[in-house]
Amino acid sequence: MKLGFRKHPYERMLHGGQKVEYLLETDSITKRYGAITAVDHVSIHLKRGEIYGLIGRNGAGKTTLLKMLAGLAKPTEGSYRIFGESEEKTASMRDRIGILIESPGLFPSMNAMENMKIKSLMMGMNDEAFMRELLRDVGLEEVGKIPVKKYSMGMKQRLGIALSLLGHPDLLLLDEPINGLDPQGIVEIRELIARLSKERNITIMISSHILEELSKIATRYSILHHGQMIEEFTHQELLKRCCERIELRPSDPVKACTVIESMGITDYKVLDKSIIQIFERLDDSGEIVLELAKNNIKTLNIAVKNEALEDYYLSLTGDARSVG
Amino acid sequence: MLNLIKMNLYRMTHAVSTWVLAIVAVLYGLMQFGIMKIIMDDPFNIMEGMSEAMGLSEATAASVFTSIIRSSDFLIIAAIFIVLFSNAEQKCGFDKNIIGITKNKWKHTLARWISAVIGMTGLVVLAGGVALGASALFLNAFTAGSATMFLKSLGLSYVGLLAFSAVFFFFTTLFRSAAGGIVPSLIISLGILYLIENLMDLLVKKLISNPAVLPTDFFLDSQVMNFDFSSGTKACVILCVLCAGYIVAALGGSMLLQQKRDVK
Repeated sequence: MKLGFRKHPYERMLHGGQKVEYLLETDSITKRYGAITAVDHVSIHLKRGEIYGLIGRNGAGKTTLLKMLAGLAKPTEGSYRIFGESEEKTASMRDRIGILIESPGLFPSMNAMENMKIKSLMMGMNDEAFMRELLRDVGLEEVGKIPVKKYSMGMKQRLGIALSLLGHPDLLLLDEPINGLDPQGIVEIRELIARLSKERNITIMISSHILEELSKIATRYSILHHGQMIEEFTHQELLKRCCERIELRPSDPVKACTVIESMGITDYKVLDKSIIQIFERLDDSGEIVLELAKNNIKTLNIAVKNEALEDYYLSLTGDARSVG
Repeated sequence: MLNLIKMNLYRMTHAVSTWVLAIVAVLYGLMQFGIMKIIMDDPFNIMEGMSEAMGLSEATAASVFTSIIRSSDFLIIAAIFIVLFSNAEQKCGFDKNIIGITKNKWKHTLARWISAVIGMTGLVVLAGGVALGASALFLNAFTAGSATMFLKSLGLSYVGLLAFSAVFFFFTTLFRSAAGGIVPSLIISLGILYLIENLMDLLVKKLISNPAVLPTDFFLDSQVMNFDFSSGTKACVILCVLCAGYIVAALGGSMLLQQKRDVK
């Protein structure tokens, strides 16, 4: 069933005649609780239609960041823009942002429909057919009058997502929606999120401490560690970084690049001005070393590497033992 | 605001605790009637001369209704209702789904209090109505009494109850927990604070001879619970001003807390 969505505010908003580039962006957003800095000058950029993965271990600042964007907490410093508008001006558009922060907040003695109705009354809408449709979309059409306290964790998460969809949101902020779920539940939630993005064109920001899981749906990522953003990258960049590659350290990296290009290799990257990563002709490492030697370039180190997603995440955070 | 009140009333009518407390209120009304019946009509001839000694020769509509609203027992029922209702959203985390949507978070607090007052009024009507109805039907010593007196005593008692509800609501908002709300509310309802206030009065009287004002003059429980409904207009106005002051302070404080604090 097609839903009658209102025109996206992002599409209506023009800045000096230009369409805004990002649906959501933060500028050095910071949150301090006394001496503790939960979020430390984080700048993220989220384009329309993206599924943005916010990755970080427990306590990295993911929930605090999402709470600020959801209007549940005030930033200590910095600012954010949603739909191209500043924090103050987004207040009237907040019903276009769906929220699921931490565990789903539900009245345990009420059933799914009653929980939906409470939020819909608050939003000034009382369309039972739409509520039933949302429950069907998240696979809860059969629960009837069973109170929420008898639901499994996965069912609660799905009801939480249905609640967040009540205002026809353009942006969905989901905090650890797969937390505490069994493998079957994880797959269900993942498929649901992918479907929402595809069928309803909802931009989604989703946090998790499991990069492996996020990598199956997200199109862009940022890694938070101790409140700071370590890196922001696309899905293609992630795949590239984690795929099999030749990694070599030549004595003269600049000259080595010329030699590599002369061999017809174009898919390579230089890290820290000293390490060259080559993503093609992985069986020709001997030939590459020989060619470099012919041009008086010493190969100080060479290896074929293949990094798992979690290893890559740990290498970025440099905190392997503390990750749960 | 209207949507917020509608939402709160919906969840109130769908909460088990509301209906349990409604039954308790009805039982309390019946219990109050039973006590009056035993003292005044003395159907078992066990209270000979007791009603005259207690000055309870007749029961009017005003005295029956106000005996319900002003009793510490009913105040305990009201306190439990206010605390449970106003803390329910925070307890289950439902507030995270809705507070971010509204620009002015304080509206949630105001709507919650208004809804809680509507619920509490329902309990007053239930308990008072049951006691009044049963008295009118089955109490020999019952007389309707003066309509003016009924409205005056009922109105003033209700204003007092509103002020109490705002104070209970404030404690629940301040401590963000049912326990944090119920403990100070019970200290007030059970009369523990009243004892402390009287000790403060004694201390002031010891320090100052003939003091112009006493601490109890400013405490809600002392003023509301001990108010004489036959007092003149000036005393009634002073009581209303005191109650209004408590409502403004407690509700304003709650709204400010909601607006300024982050949602947990």
